[in-house]
Amino acid sequence: MLNRLNAPTLHPIDKIEFIEPAVFEIAPKVKLFHMNEVANETCRFDLYFHAGSIQDSAIVSSLTSALLLSGTANKNAEQIQEEINALGGFFETGVSQENAVISIYALKENLVAIVKIVLDAIANCSFPEQEFHDVINERKQKYLVQQEKVSFLVQRAFQQRLFHDSPYGQITQIEDYNKVSREEVMEFHKKHYLSGLNKTALVGNFKMDEIDELIDLCGVLQSEAKTNHLPIIQNLRGSVHIEKKDALQTAIRVGRTLLQRNHPDYHDFIITNTILGDYFGSRLMSNIREDKGYTYGIGSMVSDFKGFSYFLIATEVAKEVKEATLTEIQFEIKRMQTERIEEEELNLVKNYLIGQMLKSADGPYSMMDLFLSAEMHDTSYDFYNEAIDKINHITSDRIQEIAQKYLNWEDFTIVTAG
Amino acid sequence: MIHYEKFQLDNGLRVIFHQDKTTPLAVVNTLYDVGARDESEDKTGFAHLFEHLMFGGSVHIPDFDAPLQNAGGESNAFTSNDITNYYDQLPAKNLDTALWLESDRMLSLAFTEKSLEVQRNVVIEEFKQRYLNQPYGDVWLELRPLAYKEHPYRWATIGKNIQHIEEATMEDVKSFFKTHYHPGNAILCIAGNFELQEIQEKVNHWFGSIPSQPKKVRNLPKEPIQTEFREKTLERNVPTDAFYYAFKMCPKLHPDYFITDLISDAIGRDKSARLYTSLKKNQKLVSEIGAYVMGSIDEGLLIISGKLNPGISFEQLDQALWQELHTLSNEEMSLKELNRLKIKVRTAKEFQEQGALNRAMNLCFHELMGDIEEINRENEHYEKITPTDMVRVSKVLFTKENCSLLKVKSNDAK
Repeated sequence: MLNRLNAPTLHPIDKIEFIEPAVFEIAPKVKLFHMNEVANETCRFDLYFHAGSIQDSAIVSSLTSALLLSGTANKNAEQIQEEINALGGFFETGVSQENAVISIYALKENLVAIVKIVLDAIANCSFPEQEFHDVINERKQKYLVQQEKVSFLVQRAFQQRLFHDSPYGQITQIEDYNKVSREEVMEFHKKHYLSGLNKTALVGNFKMDEIDELIDLCGVLQSEAKTNHLPIIQNLRGSVHIEKKDALQTAIRVGRTLLQRNHPDYHDFIITNTILGDYFGSRLMSNIREDKGYTYGIGSMVSDFKGFSYFLIATEVAKEVKEATLTEIQFEIKRMQTERIEEEELNLVKNYLIGQMLKSADGPYSMMDLFLSAEMHDTSYDFYNEAIDKINHITSDRIQEIAQKYLNWEDFTIVTAG
Repeated sequence: MIHYEKFQLDNGLRVIFHQDKTTPLAVVNTLYDVGARDESEDKTGFAHLFEHLMFGGSVHIPDFDAPLQNAGGESNAFTSNDITNYYDQLPAKNLDTALWLESDRMLSLAFTEKSLEVQRNVVIEEFKQRYLNQPYGDVWLELRPLAYKEHPYRWATIGKNIQHIEEATMEDVKSFFKTHYHPGNAILCIAGNFELQEIQEKVNHWFGSIPSQPKKVRNLPKEPIQTEFREKTLERNVPTDAFYYAFKMCPKLHPDYFITDLISDAIGRDKSARLYTSLKKNQKLVSEIGAYVMGSIDEGLLIISGKLNPGISFEQLDQALWQELHTLSNEEMSLKELNRLKIKVRTAKEFQEQGALNRAMNLCFHELMGDIEEINRENEHYEKITPTDMVRVSKVLFTKENCSLLKVKSNDAK
């Protein structure tokens, strides 16, 4: 007879296989990491530059990234786009405080040709006047739309207070678009792209001669070893509210800066964070969404920079329950500090976290991301094996201890907008 | 090539097995043949609200998520105007846990008042977060009833308004379940490193005893052919003027569907697309512009949307836009341009097929559409398209009387 009342027997995951990429050298300090065994014809090539916003300003780093394909002495922006699109290439850029990254997605037969076009465009970029003004205009328009969103308002104010008085906390104001000059962008490009290539990552089934060709192509971007990060910053504690008339919802951010990845408490903090707010069954979700119905979603997370990390709770709630939500968040944190977690809940979180680890190691693309994340922090796959070990051995007492040490309300930056 | 095996249980459940020996995870994807188009017009938003309730416990299991998380997995779902799709990913060894959970909620839900009350509030907050508290967020609440007059595509999946969600009763919930949630109305796909026989055994074990129900015959009102240009202007507290041109297009199974999709790519997919280069780069009329097809099963929409640059009028845009569309309907494009569009489609499709989850969802959807093997013929359909096809279909699409235009005018004091 079919038994629907009892859950099927669970099988623990005994092993997660982490696959090392092959490593090649572009320049003495610049590597190409290669992961193959892709099941189809797709590939991805990432180029990392020390060209994040802390090198200059948020606006200059972001405009430079946006203008990388704006034209050279021989080709205008349209021609460059046309050539890449004719090879079916997808080109993406991203800029954070510490890094700028370019990613190219394509069928592997077209990759080398696309990289050739992209690298020529970047190495010889002339930043045409007109393109510069077009991007400024586009950004201004986007900014005006963004500032109508409570999530945007709260995020900016939170960033400023979280990374108080440091280059990590700088944000772009609308008037900055009238002040920034093309020369600043060109100078940034010269310093941080032409001599800022830091590493590259290739996923796809390539042979040695194709890899050699990519290595040669990357040689045009000389690299100098320099730093791209700063040590930990103390967040500005206390609450602030940003008024937005007619908003139906209030956005809330609560957080603080925290330990570096190599700190002995780091892994245990990640587990504590998961219990509190980082999965669908977390305490914040169970209470504030699934019991009270105050929000469509609430979560907490930990994000890393090279020298430190930060913890953050984010949600958007009905306007009239803003205070009630803050009270419930405080209540759930207090509960983590004063009550021991039950074995059943702890085991669930352990199993969930190991399952998530298995998922982040599933397939060559995920595996490369996992590797890059470790490499970015000067660690290796040992970091994940250590995480698995910590997950398997953490106790309820230890979680309580971590919550008491790092989750104190008076240490938090709290920002609301609505 | 995506390979698969198909079988059907006696109770009508259609099952697809997709073997993937490279992944340590299992995917369980369950598609229910019900979407917002199956709602009655005085109870809209129900298919989506119901999707939330599916996580509120089933007849033998008080909580859906916890056992799955305990097995190292996770789950989510989405509702469209056509379908409701649920998916679980977990370590392959624990496949039984997902099948236990999915089969129990197909059998019956717990139907607790508490779950209904809470999820009503959650969905109302979702409504606010996505549609009301965002600049341009209510566009779809307005554009759908402008473009459709009879067909239920005239309301969004979230519903026409918040009141419909507030008024949902337990009785509604139960009758919705009875009508739409049963083996004959579902398609299940399991992907992972398994063998067909073990999948057959497991699926029979968990799903075989769920009673079958007669499948409801879908009898949707047919949208009359649009014969007049429609236009509506909203005044909103937004920083810039925005425009949404909606053109009626063929249903998903129509042979011209792929051609229409490629036309939307030609005008608005990327930075080489015609509207981008002409209206944005050269004439500087817009700060952004794009085009896409909605992908609906019944008669769909091709959308062109964007935002005006300061000082540009809707009339200036309108003139320039129609000129581009007329060029497309009157002059054959070069093979070079056509090939550029095709390779972009082929590349994007190859990436979509990367993960087992995407493949499982796609397999279910193609099975629903009637011929699962179509999943492996899509590239061929695109490859066959000629410049003549592009002109022929553009001519039908881009006429004034086939168009509904929604303008969002900024009433900001500048």
